[in-house]
Amino acid sequence: MTGFVSPRLSAYAAIAASGLIAGLALGRVEPVALAAPFLLALVAAVAGREPRVSVRLTVDRERVLEGDEVAASLELSPARSVDRFDLLLHLPPELSVDGGTARALHLRGRETRALELKLRCERWGAFAVGPVLFRTRDVLGLRSWEGQAGEVQRLRVYPAEETLRSLVPPLETRASVGNQVSRVRGEGIEFADLREWQPGDRVRRVNWRATALRGTLWVNEQYPERNTDVVLFLDTFAEARAEGRSTNDRAVRAAATLARGYLQRKDRVGLVGFGGVLSWLVPELGTRQLYAIVDTLLTSDIVHSYATRGVDVLPPRTLPPKALVLALTPLLDERTAGALLDLRARGYDLVVVEVSPVELVEQAAPSSAPLAHRLWRLSREALRWRYEQVGVPVVTWREDLPLAAPLEEVTAFRHLARFA
Amino acid sequence: MFLVPGASVGTLLLVLALAFGGRGLGAALWLGGGTYVAFVVSVAHDRVEPTAPLVATLLLLCGELAAWSLEERWRIRADLSLAWRRGAAVVALALTSLVAATVVVALSAVPSGHGLALTVAGAAAAVSAAGIGVWVARQ
Repeated sequence: MTGFVSPRLSAYAAIAASGLIAGLALGRVEPVALAAPFLLALVAAVAGREPRVSVRLTVDRERVLEGDEVAASLELSPARSVDRFDLLLHLPPELSVDGGTARALHLRGRETRALELKLRCERWGAFAVGPVLFRTRDVLGLRSWEGQAGEVQRLRVYPAEETLRSLVPPLETRASVGNQVSRVRGEGIEFADLREWQPGDRVRRVNWRATALRGTLWVNEQYPERNTDVVLFLDTFAEARAEGRSTNDRAVRAAATLARGYLQRKDRVGLVGFGGVLSWLVPELGTRQLYAIVDTLLTSDIVHSYATRGVDVLPPRTLPPKALVLALTPLLDERTAGALLDLRARGYDLVVVEVSPVELVEQAAPSSAPLAHRLWRLSREALRWRYEQVGVPVVTWREDLPLAAPLEEVTAFRHLARFA
Repeated sequence: MFLVPGASVGTLLLVLALAFGGRGLGAALWLGGGTYVAFVVSVAHDRVEPTAPLVATLLLLCGELAAWSLEERWRIRADLSLAWRRGAAVVALALTSLVAATVVVALSAVPSGHGLALTVAGAAAAVSAAGIGVWVARQ
């Protein structure tokens, strides 16, 4: 702990000294009488002793969802009475407390005082709660001691997820069993077609009604249920941010939602964070992979970089052949645009979900440069057109729309493209 | 009157100190005390001014209340008992100060060189005052 004296204590000392000297010089008692109260205040300050308070900080949960509340408990145990104990719980801006985290208390000696603060998790992320910065003072505030205590608690706030009725189906599936109806025929449940019996066909596949109608043996064909590889491609090169909202926040929420959706469907899901800092997770199955993805997403942040990066820098296992690549990007950086076109050229089933930055940019500059704004929007249109020319569906996810809307657009795009 | 500028500047400094976070509070109190001493020296030549303890206590009270007012500007959720405790402490300090200053004035009536006890007490008070001054300077 570091000790301090109040600035007014120096003033009191100066007044007391002046009074005593004036009393001696003038040979009068009034200046000495004037100095006496200030000397008394100095004596009161000298009498103050350094307090000893042990502080224990705990949070009731380590993992919460965005928007949830978590209780942080503080236990203060002083060795002797503390006239005034000011504390401030150090919190990141993404966590908020009604009325702030600063408190001023009186602590009785050898009596543990508990304090509970409800932390509201405004945004996803991995945060540190604490330490507690404190200041103890004597009753008149003449002397104070400052320090910090309490062990830092780690809190993981997972992004809020949206409800999705359907997911973007992949064009290709893997050989492993899953929930996705494959486009190739084989052993499965979903009926595909009828054909004439061939040697090797099992009797259970014979369609007896069709056989009775046609006089020869006919068998059913089915679509098998397979799984697929899904790679969530998160663009972390640039973002648009205004009033605490950003494209990266929404992209992370979407990635968490999609990861859960595909993993529940028994697909293998991987993650690529493509930006100033590269991060990746090889596609895997299961709940453990979901936690791994979400934990990686929590640390994903926009890091500005001038490095020219392509998909070549990614490990080959990150992008398995025939994988469905779902790119979540605000389309603000040329490097991402180039990397995605490169992926398409390599034959990946690519879907671009454009996390629209337009609303955020318009709010930031309402009428300052309308021509530049129009040109910027036109250049975005041209980029979308480039993607569509190579058969990549680009859907715009505006802020006021649920994630399901652009995903439905992808399905519609593919349906129309098939008929065109 | 030469007292008016000193008192005015002292009051102005006090107002400024309250307006700008406490800077100049010490100077305001010092000017207030200095003006009073100048008044006493110029007016009461041959007698002890009996209002000195009251003025001294009021000056200290002025400083304490100004400091309290400044600290209350911090946005902090505080226990209600803190205000009561501080109020009681300020009142206690003021009363003790009044008593101490009155004792000082009363002791001045005792003839000088009137016994060893008074000489020892005076020397102890001087040493204590010097010690406290050194402690404050070191802090």
